[in-house]
Amino acid sequence: MKRADTDLHTLAGAYALDAVSDADRTRFEQHLAGCEACAQEIRGLREATARLGASAAIRPRAELKARALLAAARTRQLPPVAPDAPARPGRGPASAAIGAMSRLGRRPWLARLATAVAAASLAVAVAMGVLVMGAQHRLHADQARGHAIAAVLSAPDVIMLTAQVATGGTATVLESRHEHSLVFTAAGLLALPAAKSYELWLMGPGGSRAAGMLPPPKGGMVGPMVVAGLAAGDRVGLTVEPAGGSAQPTSAPILMLGLGS
Amino acid sequence: MTDSQGLPRRNPAAEPGGDAGLAVLLARVARGDQPAFEEVYDRMAGPVLGMVRGVLRDLAQSEEVMQEVLLELWRTASRFDVAKGSALSWVMTLAHRRAVDRVRAEQKLAERELRAASAQIDYDDVTEAVEATLERERVRRCLGSLTDLQRESVTLAYYGSYTYSEVSGLLGVAIGTVKTRMRDGLIRLRDCLGVE
Repeated sequence: MKRADTDLHTLAGAYALDAVSDADRTRFEQHLAGCEACAQEIRGLREATARLGASAAIRPRAELKARALLAAARTRQLPPVAPDAPARPGRGPASAAIGAMSRLGRRPWLARLATAVAAASLAVAVAMGVLVMGAQHRLHADQARGHAIAAVLSAPDVIMLTAQVATGGTATVLESRHEHSLVFTAAGLLALPAAKSYELWLMGPGGSRAAGMLPPPKGGMVGPMVVAGLAAGDRVGLTVEPAGGSAQPTSAPILMLGLGS
Repeated sequence: MTDSQGLPRRNPAAEPGGDAGLAVLLARVARGDQPAFEEVYDRMAGPVLGMVRGVLRDLAQSEEVMQEVLLELWRTASRFDVAKGSALSWVMTLAHRRAVDRVRAEQKLAERELRAASAQIDYDDVTEAVEATLERERVRRCLGSLTDLQRESVTLAYYGSYTYSEVSGLLGVAIGTVKTRMRDGLIRLRDCLGVE
């Protein structure tokens, strides 16, 4: 069924509202591909619908966040599409409207991976699991520690937990029951006076065991720190202690993280 | 980022430079940057959830879709192209399409028709517990500047997930008229909101 372009053009509003049938969408997207003015109009209309939608924001339940972060850590990302790859039709508005290439992604995928890994946090390394073994020497100067970290990251049962620290900042723990180890990182922790330090604990049913003092932050990031000797029921705690550390926690934990099983 | 009450602190659209910030975050996410993803979550989970709930009504289902959308952002962040539109628009477009697909797959037209009458007033209903009242007020005011038929066509399509031909049937207005009203209504909304 052929229709005049002018007729097709009136579909712009319905298209921007996702108020079209699949057949209409395909037809309109073919039209869009050759009509820069139409693409421009759709951009403007999509901004309007986006604002309409975003203005209905509600607060998500807090526990949804950890689930989302964990799901991401376990999900492979799509590499950027090559610049000259044809847009595949019928793959939804994202692929059609967004097109083939991110401006920020013109560098070859491997180079971008290398950059990412060089700058990586542990979570990044997890997301790029396959690269961990090859790249861990870049992450950590200390080879032995690097091996320990790599063992956790590549463990089949590795789990990531993230939480806010009560006094500010975010902590991330990757733990493997299989390896009896965990890797701790934190970002944006409150700077402490010289007489105080952060101390990490394994807190289990039988009490708390000191797991080490946090090193000073580098560029706002603390760690990665490997903690071995993880036992069933242990959770990870963080407290503020006198600079030299304590044998047992002397203040309330500002962070508790763990599966507890 | 959240304030002390756990409310989203920013509305990406309302905050000056906020959308550029979101675009930068997406670029970092595309490189596997997990803290950047966490920030994207903090910014966008609320707007996505609110919009999706406006479409699906059911909160549990909406939470599911919101999680799928956020994971999709993580997965496909490398596909975001600033030249093709704002970051907010990319996210909300992806999310809206998901929500609409879900409704159309699961709900028969007859069921959706039951909700039709309330679709336009439900806009008020779904905007409870929103953070940026300023932005919400602006959108509400701009919606108010549309003609009744424009506003009904736009909200039935956007929150009711009806196609233009369904809207035509629901409102008893010719298809061509509905298409035109949707486009004119969005153009007026766009101009009123000051989208360039």
